[in-house]
Amino acid sequence: MVRAPSGGRTDRPQTRQALDQDRAAELFRQVVVPHLADGLALARWLAGNASDAEDIVQDACMRALKGIDGYRGGSARAWLLTIVRNTAFSWLARQRSSALVMVGDLADIDEASAANTSGGADPQPTPESELIRRADQQMVAAAIAALTLPMREVLVLRDVNGCSYKEIAEVLNLPIGTVMSRLARGRQHLAALVRRAEQ
Amino acid sequence: MSRSLSDDERIALNAFVDGELDAREATVWANRIAADPDLAAARDEIEATRAAVAALDRPAVSADLLARIEALAAPAPATRPARRWTEGWQNIAAAVVITALVASGATYYLSAPRGTAFETLVADAHRRSLLAASPVDVLSSDRHTVKPYLDAHLGLSPPAPDLAPQGYPLVGGRVDVFGEKSVPTLVYRHSEHTISVVAQPGTTAIVAPKPLASGGYNMVEWSANGFVFTAVSDLEPDELLSFVGDYEAAASSP
Repeated sequence: MVRAPSGGRTDRPQTRQALDQDRAAELFRQVVVPHLADGLALARWLAGNASDAEDIVQDACMRALKGIDGYRGGSARAWLLTIVRNTAFSWLARQRSSALVMVGDLADIDEASAANTSGGADPQPTPESELIRRADQQMVAAAIAALTLPMREVLVLRDVNGCSYKEIAEVLNLPIGTVMSRLARGRQHLAALVRRAEQ
Repeated sequence: MSRSLSDDERIALNAFVDGELDAREATVWANRIAADPDLAAARDEIEATRAAVAALDRPAVSADLLARIEALAAPAPATRPARRWTEGWQNIAAAVVITALVASGATYYLSAPRGTAFETLVADAHRRSLLAASPVDVLSSDRHTVKPYLDAHLGLSPPAPDLAPQGYPLVGGRVDVFGEKSVPTLVYRHSEHTISVVAQPGTTAIVAPKPLASGGYNMVEWSANGFVFTAVSDLEPDELLSFVGDYEAAASSP
């Protein structure tokens, strides 16, 4: 748990310092607070559960407040999400959490996917997209958790946070082409996982 | 029977579904999908996957978490230990100075409807609208509903073209209050992004769209048809400029 800061030096209140703090606090409320829900959603999918996500977001907000001068305009959401992501990684490393271990067996999924497309003898008349639409939330959540981290974070930033490709590239510090191929692969794997679970 | 798609095809289909292709490419892919059932099936699967993820419950920002985070930026006087009375007086003096500064700043905000202060007000109004249950007072994609609503409430009706074909459906309109002025605001959507277009009657020297930023949002300001418009959104500056281009093109054609 993170304790609230004690309010700084108490021996000598200085108007100048108070004004700087006011300005930082105001900027923090404008830049960070509107995007808390997005930060929490990303943290939830990186950490794997909602309670760790709250701690990560609170940690990230402390970092954001300290580094608020580093915000140079542009997408405030991308700026906060970058901090949330970095915080999540150091937080999870510290917790030695197993949440970051890749769970899904990608070779399996690839096989299943290949069998599905090349088999030809599939008697199942249901369109695959229909199977995915019928999948329940828990199944979809489990499938997302089973994605490798690089695919999972791109998919979550796009489909949970609603970030543009450009924002995702900014948050992950990746070329936009890499974002696009990871997203395409991520959705394909997710679809395969959900389909397999449904059948 | 279905062929497997190449990586490039898959990437393009995803970008098509996400609205990330430019208009020309999007048309090319719409035609290819219409002609190729394999592409159409893959497109359906991408849409279904996207929808399944988007439909997941999002963790809510609890009141407790919000309070803890707001406390980070608050001066937190309650946690400070008691002090000698002279320090108390110093604090009061400091508070008076700050209050005077803040108050004069507020007066400046209200008396200077243009300039950076106005952008702050627009950013605040946009943020408030996103935090509210609905960003609009009148929910309608029909400009024949939105315009009469604004006209009836304010006696003003800025052009309200539906830009759904260009990728910006009209969501509705609301009345924003800046200082003592009530101003009509149109609301558009672009994928998950909300765009507020504040329309003040009047003209400025700024006619050509001018990009600005305030409070974490990007803005474009321009003037046309007897209104000074400020578009505000979390879209990237160039995306917002392209929205403004589409809005102006649609607003100026009858």
